[in-house]
Amino acid sequence: MQFEFDIQGGDFSSAGKASSDIKKVLKQLNIDPKIVRRIAVALYEAEVNVVAHAYKGVMKVDLDAQKIKIVLEDEGPGIENIEKAMQEGFSTATDEVRQMGFGAGMGLPNIKRNTDEMLLTSVPDQGTRLEFMVRF
Amino acid sequence: MKDRNYTHAIQIDTNKCIGCSHCMQVCPTQAIRIIDGHADIMPERCVDCGECYRVCPMRAICVKDDGLSFVSDDAYRIALVPSVFIGQFPSKHTASEIMDAVKQIGFDEVFEVEQAVDFIKKIYDTIADEADFSLRPIIGSFCPAIVRLIQVHYHSLTEQILQIKAPLDIAAFYLLKSKAKENINPDNIQIYYITPCAAKIVAAKAPVGEKVSPIYATINMKEVFNLVSKTLIEKKDSKLSKQFANMSPDSVKWSISGTEKQYFRGRSLAIDGMDNVVEFLDRLESGRITGVDFLEMRACDQGCAGGILCPGNRFLTVERLEQREKKLESLAETEESVRNDLMDYAEEIQKTFRVDPVYPRDGLQLDDNLEIALQKMERIKKLNTYLPGFDCGACGAPTCRSLAEDIVKKKATISHCVFVQRVMEKNYNLSPEQAFLTIEKIWGKDRLKKYQHLNGKTES
Repeated sequence: MQFEFDIQGGDFSSAGKASSDIKKVLKQLNIDPKIVRRIAVALYEAEVNVVAHAYKGVMKVDLDAQKIKIVLEDEGPGIENIEKAMQEGFSTATDEVRQMGFGAGMGLPNIKRNTDEMLLTSVPDQGTRLEFMVRF
Repeated sequence: MKDRNYTHAIQIDTNKCIGCSHCMQVCPTQAIRIIDGHADIMPERCVDCGECYRVCPMRAICVKDDGLSFVSDDAYRIALVPSVFIGQFPSKHTASEIMDAVKQIGFDEVFEVEQAVDFIKKIYDTIADEADFSLRPIIGSFCPAIVRLIQVHYHSLTEQILQIKAPLDIAAFYLLKSKAKENINPDNIQIYYITPCAAKIVAAKAPVGEKVSPIYATINMKEVFNLVSKTLIEKKDSKLSKQFANMSPDSVKWSISGTEKQYFRGRSLAIDGMDNVVEFLDRLESGRITGVDFLEMRACDQGCAGGILCPGNRFLTVERLEQREKKLESLAETEESVRNDLMDYAEEIQKTFRVDPVYPRDGLQLDDNLEIALQKMERIKKLNTYLPGFDCGACGAPTCRSLAEDIVKKKATISHCVFVQRVMEKNYNLSPEQAFLTIEKIWGKDRLKKYQHLNGKTES
């Protein structure tokens, strides 16, 4: 089963809509609640990353009986140093974003912690592609 | 492990129900459908919050309590009275007068539940540091509707529910212990709880995390209110009033919003009202809430003062409880202490105040088998794109999404949707007679009777 969501950069008030919709679906499927929660957390963090850093993005969710696979592709400044971006506490978020309670530099490490596989690629000044997977 | 005990206090009187769907639209767990002209509650989803009860224009939603039926005369009857009951009356009646009037109904003794709060305050201090509660925030278990909401909708949060008894159970435990010392046979003691809501009835009948409840019976607060009002009106001269503070002053406000949270060290929030709770738990489940240690949650706006069985106004009740707090403060000052008999049993209560973990319920699940559940979900998604998305409720389900779910569960058909129905009729997939029968199946036969005279012509 597939789902697709458009995410608008800068739209902090709507951040969380896509992850909330997916969470609702997962809750009806008899998946271990702990796994549902891990997915929900990763989805939200990923969504917020697009909202906080990119101009716009698309989240594609692919769900089967074994796993959930999520791909987020955005148009934005991209990430210059991925290794650095994966470090806890590292953030390039603007003061504005931080004032809204985001940009603590925990997003990507948090996604990594909550997923079974994660792949992050980026072209600076073009955009970022984040792919992650959680097994049921 | 799953919890499959679906006892409920909220019931529908099909003789009174006209199937108007007000209840269906407000149910926070989408547990209501209209079938055969009546509201029908899905037991696996209902959390007994009582939102439906509030909006029913026909008083067709009833709360099943045990009532005031005193069967055996030799029983020692104790009434457990929550502080909000006292808050139902204007302050010209003292708490002692009100408690005495409750006793006159036919009880041997009356006891205010909130005395047990003094014990809970004490343990909150130690619990805050326990490793068992490393998962934060800890969610208070005071409101049984909240506990059930989490069981049905927020499976991953069940582990965060505080595993302790409610004040009502601690009070009952104390009463049984202390009466045993007075040589009253515990088997002969009947503890009645005067309840402000439906959820507390269910908590007494089918407790979560406990095998049996010490509560013998529950009584609707409205019934007791009527009897006590009568006594208070008749007896104008009695000026009973407390001589000492029998609990710490702010314990009387425990059931309303904002007091409990002050007793949990760290960052804590008080959230009341079903919609607010749902919104917050959604955020919490997605990891959007961090650094919070404790959540005090009440299903009703203003906490138990807004309970569905409270006859008074919730804001006046809160104000009355604030006045009582002040009164208790001045009593505690003059006496220089609080004399709460229950606290003499703190050591014994300490041994039994914990309850078992809370387990999720299957209310939302489409199938036990993930593969089949996924197939069903795929169909729901597809059906959902056909449906108009207005959530008009004319199909007898609260939203288009829930109709899609019902179709997949074989509880409804696509022709239940009035929009789809029109198209099917136009394309000759459905005869007008069949469409009529479908509408009758949802809204009942009598519902369409009054339109029979229209007979092809419409009056202008």
